[in-house]
Amino acid sequence: MRCKGPTVFVLLAALALGTSAENITGTILIKRKLTKRSVTPAVSVYQRGATVQLGKDTQTDPLAFERSRVVIYLEGAAPAGVVPASTAPVPQVAQLDRRFSPDLLVISAGSTVSFPNMDPIFHNIFSLSKAKSFDLGSYDQGQNRKVMFPKAGIVDVYCHLHPNMEATIVVTPNRWYARADGSGQYRIPDVPPGQYTVVAWHKYAGFFRKSITLETGHDAVADFFIPLEEDANQESR
Amino acid sequence: MTTRFRTRTFLLCFVPFAVLLAGSFWMIQRFVESTVRDGLRVSLRANQVAIANIHAKGDLQNSRFLKVAGENSALKAGIELLLSNPKSAAARRTVEDQLRELGEHMGFDFLLVSAPNGAPLAGVVRQPVQDAHNGSQLLPLDPAQLDHAGKGLLVLDGRTFQVASVAIDQDDGNVGSLSVGEYFNFAELTTPAVLLHNGTVIASNLPNLPLTSLTTTLADCGDRAECDLRLHGANWISAPMQSWGGGYVLRSLENVDEAVAPIQARLHKLFLTLSIAAVLIALLCSIASARSIVEPIAAVVSNLRHAARTGVLTEFEGPPSSILEIRELAEIYNRAAASVRAAGEDLHSAYLEFVGSLASALDARDGYTSGHSWRVSHLSCAIASAMELSPDDVERIRVGALLHDIGKIGIADSVLQKPGRLTEEEWILIKQHPVIGRRILEGVQGFASYLGAVELHHENWDGTGYPKGQSGTETPIDARIIHVVDAYDAMTTDRSYRRAMTHERAVSILRENAGRQFDARVVAIFLSLPPATLMRPSPALQDRVQVDESEMAVVG
Repeated sequence: MRCKGPTVFVLLAALALGTSAENITGTILIKRKLTKRSVTPAVSVYQRGATVQLGKDTQTDPLAFERSRVVIYLEGAAPAGVVPASTAPVPQVAQLDRRFSPDLLVISAGSTVSFPNMDPIFHNIFSLSKAKSFDLGSYDQGQNRKVMFPKAGIVDVYCHLHPNMEATIVVTPNRWYARADGSGQYRIPDVPPGQYTVVAWHKYAGFFRKSITLETGHDAVADFFIPLEEDANQESR
Repeated sequence: MTTRFRTRTFLLCFVPFAVLLAGSFWMIQRFVESTVRDGLRVSLRANQVAIANIHAKGDLQNSRFLKVAGENSALKAGIELLLSNPKSAAARRTVEDQLRELGEHMGFDFLLVSAPNGAPLAGVVRQPVQDAHNGSQLLPLDPAQLDHAGKGLLVLDGRTFQVASVAIDQDDGNVGSLSVGEYFNFAELTTPAVLLHNGTVIASNLPNLPLTSLTTTLADCGDRAECDLRLHGANWISAPMQSWGGGYVLRSLENVDEAVAPIQARLHKLFLTLSIAAVLIALLCSIASARSIVEPIAAVVSNLRHAARTGVLTEFEGPPSSILEIRELAEIYNRAAASVRAAGEDLHSAYLEFVGSLASALDARDGYTSGHSWRVSHLSCAIASAMELSPDDVERIRVGALLHDIGKIGIADSVLQKPGRLTEEEWILIKQHPVIGRRILEGVQGFASYLGAVELHHENWDGTGYPKGQSGTETPIDARIIHVVDAYDAMTTDRSYRRAMTHERAVSILRENAGRQFDARVVAIFLSLPPATLMRPSPALQDRVQVDESEMAVVG
């Protein structure tokens, strides 16, 4: 991950100045399916003795799914005075039907995530990512473990016992982040005016950056085109 | 037993031939069959070995699969979890879930993890599911019901699984083992096979054969690599295909008879055709050879049979036989026939000599009649020849003429040689001499043809003669000729009662009586004879010629 020095200064200046807040909106355009999704049968299904059709994607529109998997956030440290709301419910990544649910979670740095096990079998959650590396050990149904993510970054979460389980937790540096909806629309509200670098991230496409200037009274627009894989390699990596 | 020579020859020719042929064909057929059977057996054996190899290869592949499965880190973690939470149902479920997933991916029917000490921890087994689309599902099994989970065969709920195991190591320490198994499906085996456990058949894909009888039969095989056995009267060969630990052995079976049957049927047909053809050829050859042996003999036999019927031994005619013995037989027969015929001719000539001497003896009784029989015979022959009668007739006439007066033997000399005139009684006696002659010769075989000449040489053409009074051609030609000549000779010789007449006188008397006393035709021929013929054949006797008065009376 590369950071651009001037952007940080601009952003800081803007934050120091502004008291008003504007919105950043945009559209994510994805024309290609990026995620290989496999459907694994749920544990409970087996216990009922019914059969499962493996490998069928239940998602009707794969591109809408891809668009909803894009996380957009503003690069830079959290401005002073903006403290993550401690009253908000603790975000969780549950283990249900031998999958992480949800398997994509966006939190701001410093947040704590709980990992409740809702399956009738053991799971063993761990991560080896640089932003946060942990191993929660094996635990049974009904048990819960919590992890605090102090640093921004992408954290990939796995299960020792089930290699096909995976989840990603995007830890953003501040509270200005959003996820696109199925049509690719996103909106980051209440952003103070200033110059920013907007980052769009997709697990399989990588990072895409755009510099914008947010002026008072005007919403800024940052559209992203998530290109084909080879294009993505050239442009963003 | 009496059989025809033809039948016996045929049987002697044919029966050994046929028996030999049939026997050798049978032997050849047996030999070919056993050769074919051996060949098939070899190929079957090779098949069995190939199948066993394929199975072994499949086993090896399974074990490679297993090596990969044994390095599955998730499974390792699961086992460790299970070991650290031995009582936890959830931990067992977790591992079962892992095994299920592994099994579905790799296509196993049975998966089990065991602790390092071999105690089964958790396992799944494929069970049929009623409402399923694909028919079966890996469901958890109760580890308590397992007693054996190593490499080999596992019998679970009446189903057999072929099981292989791999140790699972983590950080240089053994954490347990993974056993995987596939349902051992006999239906998938293309060859008939039986599964034995410690010598007892526990499964087979042979229909209609109870396992107990298979066990008994296969007990003879023991542990041998392959063996022959008999099942339900058929020959089978059995070869081991695969063996597992714990006394489980899979043996293949192959029905040799079934494999041989089509070839055997073809051979049967071929040899049957060949042997029938050979026997037919033998039959024809036998008939031909029997005929070639029998026919010459049959010809000889028919000749003999003909000889027996006719009483005449004719010589064997026709081309000489190519068989040496038959030719000798024919030659001997011909020689015998010739000698028999010669003997018959000798006998006949002896008869004739006897007749001649009889006639001479008769002539000698009376000096006047000396040479009479011979002269009559001679002249009669001359007439017969002039009449162009057949040689047989001439000969018959010659002999008949010699014998014509034989009856005079039965007439007393006193009557016969009486110089004077004969009384009525004496004349009656004289007239009996033809009948007496007939009686004398009647009993002698071979003289039947002369009876006419002897009995009837005094019959007249007009029927006034004696003894029967026959007339014309009723009297045989022999008697008619002799009658003329007899009269002539009697007239031209001296008798005790008169002197001889001259030739001319006698001729005129004959001419006068032609057509009355004598046959005119015979007289005419007699008179046309050259004079030399009428010369007395024995002039020595002429001195004693006298005219016989009684003869004259006859003539008169």
